[in-house]
Amino acid sequence: MSVIDILTRVDVLCKKYEKYDLDKQWAGADSMSGNDQFLRLYTVVEADIEAAREKSQDAQSEKNRAVVATLNAEVRRSKAALKAEIPKLEKLAAKKVKDLSKEEMAARPDLVVALAQKIEDIPDGVTVGRPGGTWGRKASNPLEIKLDAMHPDDLMRPEHYEQTEESLALRQEYEMRRAKQDEGLDIIAAGLTTLKDMAGDINEELDKQMPLIDEVDTKVDRAAADLKNTNIRLKETLTKMRSNRNFCIDLILIVLILGIGGTLYTYSFSPFTPSYVCLQPLLMYQQVRSAHMMDGAKPLRRNRGLLFMSGWSSE
Amino acid sequence: MCVKILKLGKLRKLEDGRASVEEERGRVKVAQRCMTKANYLTTLSFTRWVKDWANATPLFEQAALNFKLVKMPEEAKLAYQQAAMGQIKQSSPWTAAKHMEAAGVLAKELSCWNEVVDFFKQASALYVECGKVQPGADALIRGARAVQELKPNDALTMYMDACRLLEDDNREQMAFDTYRAASNLYIKLNKYREAAVVLLRWGQAANKCKATQSQCKAYLSAIIVYLYAESYEDALACYNNCASMDVFSKSDQDQCAQLLFLAYREGRANEIKHVISTSTIIPHLDHMIIRLAKQLPQGKVMSQEVPEMDIT
Repeated sequence: MSVIDILTRVDVLCKKYEKYDLDKQWAGADSMSGNDQFLRLYTVVEADIEAAREKSQDAQSEKNRAVVATLNAEVRRSKAALKAEIPKLEKLAAKKVKDLSKEEMAARPDLVVALAQKIEDIPDGVTVGRPGGTWGRKASNPLEIKLDAMHPDDLMRPEHYEQTEESLALRQEYEMRRAKQDEGLDIIAAGLTTLKDMAGDINEELDKQMPLIDEVDTKVDRAAADLKNTNIRLKETLTKMRSNRNFCIDLILIVLILGIGGTLYTYSFSPFTPSYVCLQPLLMYQQVRSAHMMDGAKPLRRNRGLLFMSGWSSE
Repeated sequence: MCVKILKLGKLRKLEDGRASVEEERGRVKVAQRCMTKANYLTTLSFTRWVKDWANATPLFEQAALNFKLVKMPEEAKLAYQQAAMGQIKQSSPWTAAKHMEAAGVLAKELSCWNEVVDFFKQASALYVECGKVQPGADALIRGARAVQELKPNDALTMYMDACRLLEDDNREQMAFDTYRAASNLYIKLNKYREAAVVLLRWGQAANKCKATQSQCKAYLSAIIVYLYAESYEDALACYNNCASMDVFSKSDQDQCAQLLFLAYREGRANEIKHVISTSTIIPHLDHMIIRLAKQLPQGKVMSQEVPEMDIT
């Protein structure tokens, strides 16, 4: 095959697959008016919006939460990318294009705005109907808690991480309550330490006293046994001493002693005893007196001398 | 009427006073008589070749009692000494020890400190002789307590002897109070190293009788005493030795000691004071140790270098 044949073949092939040559197309598009650029971009953005809307619908119908979250994340990413294209479209819409009527030119910015609104309206798993509220702005209900409410733009804004009055107050209250709790816990800890120490000391004291008590117990048992033995022996001794034989002997001896005493007493008043002689005047006086009393005469004057001798006390 | 009653009361009191004076005089006479007779019985002579302690001892005891009641301590002390001698001669060391103790108390009243030490030591020896170690140690402790103000060295000797007696008899638990008293006395005399040694001995005794609470407290107290004596190295060595024991290493006292050493290592006096003031363990130690701890740190506090481990 000659060179000419090769070149001819190459030209034919290039012509056949010309439509796939992007550079040519782009160059051709650039040589054309800016109208196609806006239109093209508009078409691309619209197609992307449609795709994002489909994904959003899929996410709404999906039951699996993980899949839902993934789809919503993709939708949000697409929305963010599309929003980034909006300024480009606005620039292209402002460009003057040949062969385009004035009405069409005026309608382009509106188209761009409508497109932006379409992008905003795509549901992406965030609470629908937020009135353009972003993080850091005062919402109508300050106590409303919103999850996953962070907008990517909100994160980049400098006032995103600033504290609001509510959050400051909450933080202060939290710190105060935490400090009070810490204080209370410290007091409890100190009390528990004291209790632990006291319990340990009591335990040691009891351990110390236990062998002493055991010793006392042993000694008391021994003393009790000794006492018991002593009592038994004492009982035996008493029994021996108080036996019947001894009792009879004691009785006899008592009777004897009484008999002797009585004999002595009787003997002391007999006429042949010296005591009888001494007591005789007294006995005589008594007899006279009793006789005189029976006669009804005045009582005799007491003879104190006689009375003294007899040892009688005066009446 | 009331005045009459009052007057009668005064008269009775006067009469009682007079009666007590007469009673006292009677007691003195009885005591002196007993003493004379007892001395006579215990004096050897041509007719008496052996001292009659059997009859003399009760007389001496009676005389001692009477002298004590009429507050004549000198005579009572002598009588008690003789009574103790008599009991020893009659092989009754228990009663002799009791008399020696009584003589020691009277010697304390008379401020004869040397005699106090001697009497209580003799009483202790007599108790030990009749196999009663606890009363022997108690006698030494009482004697030490009596003389610790004026003769602290003798008191310390007696305390340590009492501890040794109890340790030998495997009654370490009864010696805790003695260790405490001895360490407090050492601290009073500013002998901090000796005090720390006593505290460590206390810990050892507590370890033997499984009194973990007292053991850990004793170790922490020893560390604090070393730190007060400005010997950081001794304190650290003591801590390392104690931390090798499981009982101490798992205790709250070990944590407290660690915090203290950390503060010392950083060389910050404020941190040391903060650790001591906020600690919940130190307030449960002995009051003398708490007093020392509150005065920490002593001397210059420099950051201590942790010795590098040689891994070659």
